[in-house]
Amino acid sequence: MIAELWLGTLRDVAVNAVPTIIVACGLTLVVVTREIDISVGSAMGVLATVLGLLVSPARFGMSLWVGIAAVLVLGAVIGLVNGALVVWGKVPSIIVTLGTLTALQGVNALLLHGEQITQLPSALRYLGVGRIAGIPVSLYLTAIVVIGTMLLATRTALGRRLYAVGSQPDAARLAGLSEVRLKLFVFAFTGVLVGVATLASVSQIAVIEPNLGRGFELVVVTAVLVGGTSIHGGRGSVVGAAIAAIVLEGVRTTLILLRLGESATYWERAIQGAFILIAVLIDLLVRSRRATVRRA
Amino acid sequence: MVAIPRNNAEGGAGDGVRAGVGRGLEVDGLAKSYGGVHALSGVSLAVRPGQVHALVGENGAGKSTLIKIISGVVSPDAGAVSMNGTPIPLGHVTLSQQAGVATIHQESTAFPDLNAIDNLFVGREQGMRRGGLLLDRRRMREQTIAALAELGEHVDVDRPLAELPLASRQMIAIARALSQQCTVLILDEPTASLSEPEGEALFRAMQTLRMRGIGMLYVSHRLAEIFALSDVTTVLRDGQVVAHRPTAEFTEASLIQSMVGREIAPLVPKSAHDTVHDTPSDGATTVTPPARDEPMLLVTGLTREPAFRDITLQVRPGEVVGLAGLVGAGRSEVARAVFGIDRQTRGEVRVAGQTLTPGSVPEAVAAGVALVPEDRQHLGLVLPMSVRENLLLVVLRRLAKFWIRPRAIERTLVQELSASLAIRPAGPDLRADALSGGNQQKVVLGKWLATKPRVLVLDEPTRGVDVGAKAELYRLIRQLAGEGMATLLISSDLPEILALSDRVLVMRQGMLAGELPRAEATEERILALAMPADIALRERVAS
Repeated sequence: MIAELWLGTLRDVAVNAVPTIIVACGLTLVVVTREIDISVGSAMGVLATVLGLLVSPARFGMSLWVGIAAVLVLGAVIGLVNGALVVWGKVPSIIVTLGTLTALQGVNALLLHGEQITQLPSALRYLGVGRIAGIPVSLYLTAIVVIGTMLLATRTALGRRLYAVGSQPDAARLAGLSEVRLKLFVFAFTGVLVGVATLASVSQIAVIEPNLGRGFELVVVTAVLVGGTSIHGGRGSVVGAAIAAIVLEGVRTTLILLRLGESATYWERAIQGAFILIAVLIDLLVRSRRATVRRA
Repeated sequence: MVAIPRNNAEGGAGDGVRAGVGRGLEVDGLAKSYGGVHALSGVSLAVRPGQVHALVGENGAGKSTLIKIISGVVSPDAGAVSMNGTPIPLGHVTLSQQAGVATIHQESTAFPDLNAIDNLFVGREQGMRRGGLLLDRRRMREQTIAALAELGEHVDVDRPLAELPLASRQMIAIARALSQQCTVLILDEPTASLSEPEGEALFRAMQTLRMRGIGMLYVSHRLAEIFALSDVTTVLRDGQVVAHRPTAEFTEASLIQSMVGREIAPLVPKSAHDTVHDTPSDGATTVTPPARDEPMLLVTGLTREPAFRDITLQVRPGEVVGLAGLVGAGRSEVARAVFGIDRQTRGEVRVAGQTLTPGSVPEAVAAGVALVPEDRQHLGLVLPMSVRENLLLVVLRRLAKFWIRPRAIERTLVQELSASLAIRPAGPDLRADALSGGNQQKVVLGKWLATKPRVLVLDEPTRGVDVGAKAELYRLIRQLAGEGMATLLISSDLPEILALSDRVLVMRQGMLAGELPRAEATEERILALAMPADIALRERVAS
């Protein structure tokens, strides 16, 4: 009985963490190459709106497949724009994506006019509430993304090159690696995953409103850093980020269960911040320990 | 050291099995300049199959530039490189690699966060895929272990390199180059961070490669290695080939002679304390110099592993002490520690008897230390700001009265400095990046002179500076010494060291290798102290 309750809670926590886990997979690779993308929340907002406008019967009412394709392609385009500004504009990625974060918020407001989209095709709901063998469909999707990205990171030439560029850019140049192509890839890849996360998110909440995705980037960045990815690049784990995302969601759920009311949100923020600082501290410790090992 | 049978014939190998029959690597008329300074001009040489071709020269002779061009890291301004008669497109690392050029670079080419397997294979994973996209990790692992074992290296191939000793990392970089299917292997000072047995393992590997007909271009400052390993030797000086002969025709002394080259007489004889000029006095604190024989700068047992250890030196007022040594000997690192940029682990720095807090630049500045850094564009100047603002940068706070900048005093100070430094074109409102290298250097110097320093540390003050500006900088340095400045001069330009120094200290691999009084200092003796060659050679040259 207790076990069942536990499993049920864990499942709910995992389902709620799905969008974070999916985007954290992409962002881990971005951070591994010494870049960052803080526009993922705004991008999700815009993609959700576009999806709603295209497929809602009250709007254009197009086929769900058109909506899915549009979200994925548009996600890639947003990522490529971020990447292009970073590699060719030589602007630090935190500035570039701060820019796109703001710009995309504006675009979203223009598209939605402060309204909500509630009428969504029932097929989309299946992704959110459907189950196969008792396990939510969105968890299968998440597992595919996590395992796929993990294999990409650790078992393909491309993945290893991403770590190499982040670890030592000068040496990467001497090894003939193209920093431009690798960074464009990670931004585009993250963009596509934001698209996937948008589908999962919209299918769960069933309402598209102007604030969707707001603050999402903070949760994702926290998950990536807590998951053991070094802000200095070259080191990071997709699985670590996924576990961290679940832990963070668990903390949030616990706070809600504690019935703190209004202050639950404040506590959540504070704990999130503490997590980031602890993660950075651990990274610092690992690095200084290595420095002493090397000297020995 | 392993003796390797040599092939003296220019045309190629006389023994062994030769796989890559042909003309090998040919370099024709390469030229490259950086901002008006010729790093290379008209360099031609050939690395024949099965031949070890030594490339020697002083710091800054152009060796590294040449290697970077051949390996595709840098594009030349003119010239061509070909492999067995086929031209190699330049400026592309991957294309050079595909043409059969493998390189062991001088700077670390290792990825600290990756393990040995990834370090060996990243960038050339072709043929390591199993089925579709995924890499065959097991095969990569086996090949890595085998490649390292061939070099006598047995490390944990799954640990990140950052956790391995420096020498192992270098061996992994070497294994990476060796495991490439190359026709020509370039080795840029591969033994610099290796111990004796590891060096031997490398030399054995080179012998195997030679038997397979692979040509090697070998750069080293260790003369003993050059003589033991190489068939022919090319000497570069000031970006040009000045000698090219079978190694056997050189003696150790004649090789050093041809690296140093010029008539061995100081450019400008050091004159006695000549004209004393008025330095700007407004606003800056007055400093009473202590007695002449008291050291102004006293460094004792200064240590910061692994860069340098047990450095003890002193500079008296009015004295110019030269600090010579090869690139990487730790000279600039000593300068940084003296100035408080880096914190030493042991030892202390005293200025006029006062001990400085380690790692505090403000305290060093307050005590009267000034550093003209090696990399003036990044560390010495704020390039987009005007000459005036650059000159006033350090002294700003001291001049200001109640945080208000005294315009009149500033103007006088800038005028005086510009005049005494002869900055050209004369215009305090010009942006610093509009000036030539030599005049930029004068601005850096002037910025510190405004603070009336007592100890001046100059790190490569005339690198990339034209001859005219160089002479003016020399005049300034001597004039300052005449006024009682204690100067520590770091330079790789030996004539410069000889022309300016009262004493010459030589550093080798992080330690002081010796001190030469002015009368006994020659380029040969300095080089002999600076190079990690065998003791017999050093004595022969020095006597």
